[in-house]
Amino acid sequence: MAWLNRLFPRRRRYEDLAVSINEHLAERTDELIDEGMSKADAEQQARREFGNVCLIQQRSREAWQWSTLESILADVRFALRQLIKSPGFTATAVVTLALGIAINATMFSMVSAFLMGHVPARDPEGVVVLSSVNPDASFQADINGVSAANYLLWKQNTRMFPEMAASSEFRTASLSTPGEQTEAVAYAAVSANYFSTLGVAPQLGRGFVAGEDEPGHDHVVILSHALWERRFGSIPSVIGRTVRLNHEDYVIAGVMPQDFRMLGFPAKLWTPLTLTAADRAPQARSSRNLQVFARIAPGVTLKEVRAQMNVVAEQAQRDFPATENRWGASARTMGDFLVYNFGIARALAIIMTVVAFVLLIACANVAGLLLTRAVGRQKELAVRMALGASRVRVVRQLLTEGLMIALMGGAGGVFLTYFGIGLVRAGLTFNEMTSVVPVSLDRNVLLFAAAISIVSALLSSLAPALKASRTAINADLKNETRGGTAGRSHGRLRAALVGSQIAMALFLLIGSGQLIRAVYLLDHQKLGFAHDHLLTAGVVLDQARYPDALKQKQFVHSLTAQLERISRVESVAVVSDLPATGPGSVPVHIKGRTEARANERHTATDMVASPEYFSVAGVPILRGRGFTGADQPGTPRVAVVSQEFVRRYLPSQDAMGKEIQLDIQGGSPESCEIIGIAADVKNFSEDPRVEPAVYESLEQRPVAGFSVMVRSGTDPATLSDFLRSTVTRLDPELPLLRVMSMDAVIDSQRNGNPLFEKLLATFAVLALILSAIGIYGLIAYSVGQRTQEIGIRMALGAKADDISRMVLREGLKVAVIGSVIGFALAIPLPKVFDAMFSGVVFGAPGVYPVVLAVMLIVAVGATFGPAYRAARVDPSQALRNE
Amino acid sequence: MGKNPDRRDLFSGALDLMILHSLQVKPMHGYALAKHIKQASDDLLQIEEGSLYPALQRLLREGLLESEAGVSAKGRPTRIYRLTGAGMRQLEREVSSFEKMFTGITRVLAVAALQEG
Repeated sequence: MAWLNRLFPRRRRYEDLAVSINEHLAERTDELIDEGMSKADAEQQARREFGNVCLIQQRSREAWQWSTLESILADVRFALRQLIKSPGFTATAVVTLALGIAINATMFSMVSAFLMGHVPARDPEGVVVLSSVNPDASFQADINGVSAANYLLWKQNTRMFPEMAASSEFRTASLSTPGEQTEAVAYAAVSANYFSTLGVAPQLGRGFVAGEDEPGHDHVVILSHALWERRFGSIPSVIGRTVRLNHEDYVIAGVMPQDFRMLGFPAKLWTPLTLTAADRAPQARSSRNLQVFARIAPGVTLKEVRAQMNVVAEQAQRDFPATENRWGASARTMGDFLVYNFGIARALAIIMTVVAFVLLIACANVAGLLLTRAVGRQKELAVRMALGASRVRVVRQLLTEGLMIALMGGAGGVFLTYFGIGLVRAGLTFNEMTSVVPVSLDRNVLLFAAAISIVSALLSSLAPALKASRTAINADLKNETRGGTAGRSHGRLRAALVGSQIAMALFLLIGSGQLIRAVYLLDHQKLGFAHDHLLTAGVVLDQARYPDALKQKQFVHSLTAQLERISRVESVAVVSDLPATGPGSVPVHIKGRTEARANERHTATDMVASPEYFSVAGVPILRGRGFTGADQPGTPRVAVVSQEFVRRYLPSQDAMGKEIQLDIQGGSPESCEIIGIAADVKNFSEDPRVEPAVYESLEQRPVAGFSVMVRSGTDPATLSDFLRSTVTRLDPELPLLRVMSMDAVIDSQRNGNPLFEKLLATFAVLALILSAIGIYGLIAYSVGQRTQEIGIRMALGAKADDISRMVLREGLKVAVIGSVIGFALAIPLPKVFDAMFSGVVFGAPGVYPVVLAVMLIVAVGATFGPAYRAARVDPSQALRNE
Repeated sequence: MGKNPDRRDLFSGALDLMILHSLQVKPMHGYALAKHIKQASDDLLQIEEGSLYPALQRLLREGLLESEAGVSAKGRPTRIYRLTGAGMRQLEREVSSFEKMFTGITRVLAVAALQEG
């Protein structure tokens, strides 16, 4: 860093140099005067003999400089001085870019956290997730869970998979510790080698050891860091302590580190997974609920694993046609699996595309500003080139200015991103799995911000710089140009820039308009039941104290009776799955109707409901009857089916009295008779499709896990305390899951949709504002350039109206051409979206004219100011100009 | 960090030599130095006077010269350049290498002249 040390004496050196040169010139001048020249002639002659004073001074100084760096520093210093000289321009450009960069970096923070987030495994590239391929599913069919039998079979291939572990996720346990309230905790049951397969060790205590996944040895538990912190106050002495889990004693064996967090899997604690003989039985093959993680042997590729999985699946189809028919098997690397399973990539891709467009529009604005400025600086550039600056040097200088603007914009952008990420984090709290993902201003985001700052610098300043450097020195120095001729080619470039801005903005508006409309329609679709004034809560009765149907029914009866005694409660029902919350489908056989082909199996969602369900939920029975208290285990099994069921499977037949049989996992199939037809209810509140549904009576087929629905005349939230206390009175150790109104349940199923809508709308509006600024800048500049021309026109008799119309027309021309291009680009959008989002209806044609009208109104509005000013040009003033 | 080599054109070695040699005689200020070189060469060497200054700065930087405040013959403030010890040694080296080179060139030219004749 010697050059740094030289910085200080250097100023003295430069002074010495200047003194020497001045004295040199003065002495020579004196001499020439002595020889009889006039003073002026002598001065000129002395300078001529000396040469280019500036250049020589520059060369002399360079002796002291580290030339490349110094000249860059000089460029930077000069650029900063130039920018400080025009603060209005600088602020506009910097703020525009800062906004564009901040939006991109903020959205990228989600990409970084969700898609590039860490995989909780050592050497994650070597870990694959093995899945079943569901022939009947339309969504993420290739990451279906795996049956215990298949897991144990696949595990034998130790040549390919030296280690294989399984977990059963999405379980809920009641957790109680002495002196504290019982709570429901999400947990997973995992094989004893689960943590060692992933290659992660507990931060405290130990992992599971071999044998702990055998019945009788399995009452050990490992806590997540978050649970340990919240519930156990981060005390290390929890190891070895006993907790009550599902009303049984478990010993805490370990605590996982904070960063052991699996995207999309909410487990807060882990217990050993015990696989019994029943789990391995052939009929249990249809129970596919294990996630299988395997470490692949060194040298084995993912392709080979997939080929092997296909072979295995085909073998299984031959061996177990009853359960494995058409089912496949697949493999993904763990990182890939987590991202795919979480299903956020598509939404992020759309958002990143949108913000990239916003940045492009911002860059176009800055490029427009720089072009305008370049016109004003033509003379300065001409002088510099005349003084010997090379073209490369001038371009470099202008690019440096662009880079300075972009870097300031980038710094401002990072500053704004810090707050933007705060907003995003607040917006991501819509569910537990997104709120735990650490979205932050991490290294990826900073690198991304730096990269896009540089790209923006190039995008916004390269064209203006090249253009400006192609200056005709003579013409510019003389500046004999009058009127608008000098700016014409600049004007064309600017108009093209603004036109493409408008095209991009229109494209964005139409695209986001359609997405927002589709999402809005989805969020506000008629669900087919009355979801207002309903309080709901989940209950899972444990095996230990509610081992049989009788005990379970007793609990339901006393709960219902006690709740109905509360004055504000109108009615109470119990159902296995709340309506429109996506109950699973099971195969169904209809007596007397042979299945047409193997791949056209009949399936229906399967729900078990108490007799009051249909009236409490407000689902009308269209034919026949609902369940009554008379439908008991001793009487014939009955079922109610949905309209869609009849429409799809029993068209042109009388459905009433038909016998059907549901293939329920792990249960023995029993025939039941259709006694009623209920109106359709949407299968899932965020899906427009209707699935065939079958309801069975809770009296005839009790279940351990169910939801309570309480209808009241008042705000359902006010009843939640009554609900809690009633349950506590019945069973102090029974936790209630998610006590919330039905509307809140539906709201929570909207997931990220409101955030997605808000983001899209914000960015589209921002694009609109930026292009409005662009068109305003273009027309204002053009009016400024043409002041003289306008003056002449008015002097020749043009009226104020003619002038403003002329200016408006100029703005409209650009807006219309840009709009037409944007419009044409947007036409195939509905098809693209249809392909991306199956089942959602796009192609709202109403969006097109609305957006076009908005665009043109904004364009006219932005042109109006300059047009008004143009019409008020005073001809005598304008002609005297210059 | 050295200077850009193509800035030091073919002539600069010779110019450096002349500057060092002139200043060995006595310390001088810029204008006097320019005049001295011009006169000593009997106006045979036409140099742009100004090109002296980059060379002076380079020699200053290399520590071959030093400068101090002084006044010109006409009493104007200026800077006087003087040879340092290192400059003296450099001059000796340059003179001997220059002489060797010059002898070499002369011989080559003599041979060429013989062949022509």
